[in-house]
Amino acid sequence: MSSPPVRAAVTGRSLGLRVCTRCRATLRGIAAAAQRCPRCRSPVHVRRPHSLATTASLVITAAILYIPANVLPVMRTHTFLSDQDDTIMSGVISLAHSGSWPVALLVFFASIVVPLLKLIALGEIVIAVSRRSVRQPEQRSRLFRVVEYVGRWSMLDVFAMSLLVALVQVQSLATVEVRPAALAFAGVVVLTMLAAQSFDERLLWDGESRG
Amino acid sequence: MSVIVCHACDLAHREDGIVPAARVRCVRCRAELYRTSAAGVDTAIALALAALVLFIIANAYPLVAFKVNGTTRMATLTGAALGLYDQGYATLGLLVTFTAVLVPLTQILAFLYVLVPVRLGFRAPGQERLLRVLTALRPWGMSEVFVLGAIVALVKLSSEAEVAPRIALVAYGLLMLMLAAMASVTPTEQFWRWINRRHR
Repeated sequence: MSSPPVRAAVTGRSLGLRVCTRCRATLRGIAAAAQRCPRCRSPVHVRRPHSLATTASLVITAAILYIPANVLPVMRTHTFLSDQDDTIMSGVISLAHSGSWPVALLVFFASIVVPLLKLIALGEIVIAVSRRSVRQPEQRSRLFRVVEYVGRWSMLDVFAMSLLVALVQVQSLATVEVRPAALAFAGVVVLTMLAAQSFDERLLWDGESRG
Repeated sequence: MSVIVCHACDLAHREDGIVPAARVRCVRCRAELYRTSAAGVDTAIALALAALVLFIIANAYPLVAFKVNGTTRMATLTGAALGLYDQGYATLGLLVTFTAVLVPLTQILAFLYVLVPVRLGFRAPGQERLLRVLTALRPWGMSEVFVLGAIVALVKLSSEAEVAPRIALVAYGLLMLMLAAMASVTPTEQFWRWINRRHR
């Protein structure tokens, strides 16, 4: 907990002070004008250049990949009787049918709900900032932090798949094979993580500081 | 008068107005400005050493066993990544290796590389850059997601075959706890205070 600031909405920018977003050091004294953080040597900016454009393009790319990732099969199971293709959703359904409800729910959230929520949330944030919306920076920053935190959990299915592929290689009995949509799925996870990392959170608050 | 600027919303805080606490948050956006930890360098080194031992076990032994028709198949961590590579999905194999193996290993080694010299009273060359890399890598270390992914794979197979977790999965689960403990005893500020007393 901390006491009130110097005055309402006195910002680093209004004081001519910059902060390193990597190690969180405030640059002051002789270092105040340096190109790089004196502590960790990361580049320091008043606002990260092209942050909004980078985030927006990554979100759009991820949104396009989200479609094949969910519509096309990510895995194929060969058995001596038949071949079965599984999408992310059909994998969840077969888990639920085999009676493992908690695990099915977990995979459903990590693989379907979380990526979709990330795309919607990041899209909303990008649109709000590009329209210079000054309302609700508190809610948006809370939303952004949730997105940043839960993003990595979508890798769950990729890890599960890697183990299934390694284990189920019993020639003539059963083998598990990866299908191309798995790449699209991993792409969604990685690109949305990069999108969140390239976003400069301070953009959410700039309207407030001006007004 | 010294000022601390919030990295997340750019609000300026007067340093002498901040009430000392274990965790200091921005008054406007609630982002963590800094956090302190009572743990010493020795604790951090001990955790990193334990993590290193667990990492070796987790990589050297099988994670899961799969029994079908009287024969048993084992999967190791590297086997899981190589399986993806063999099927022509080198990118996926690399992603799994990076997030589940390389990032945790880099974290452990960088920790020891920087902190052992701190303990002995000298500076490791290049420590600033290494700590910067360490901060950048933090979101990409996915040991806890991997553990859960392994459990999901076990559940998926359990309806069709006899599967069992093996020693490496237990080691990996403990490694996950060690990595979390390492992160919690070394807030960014603490790290910098240990290695570089000129700043803050």
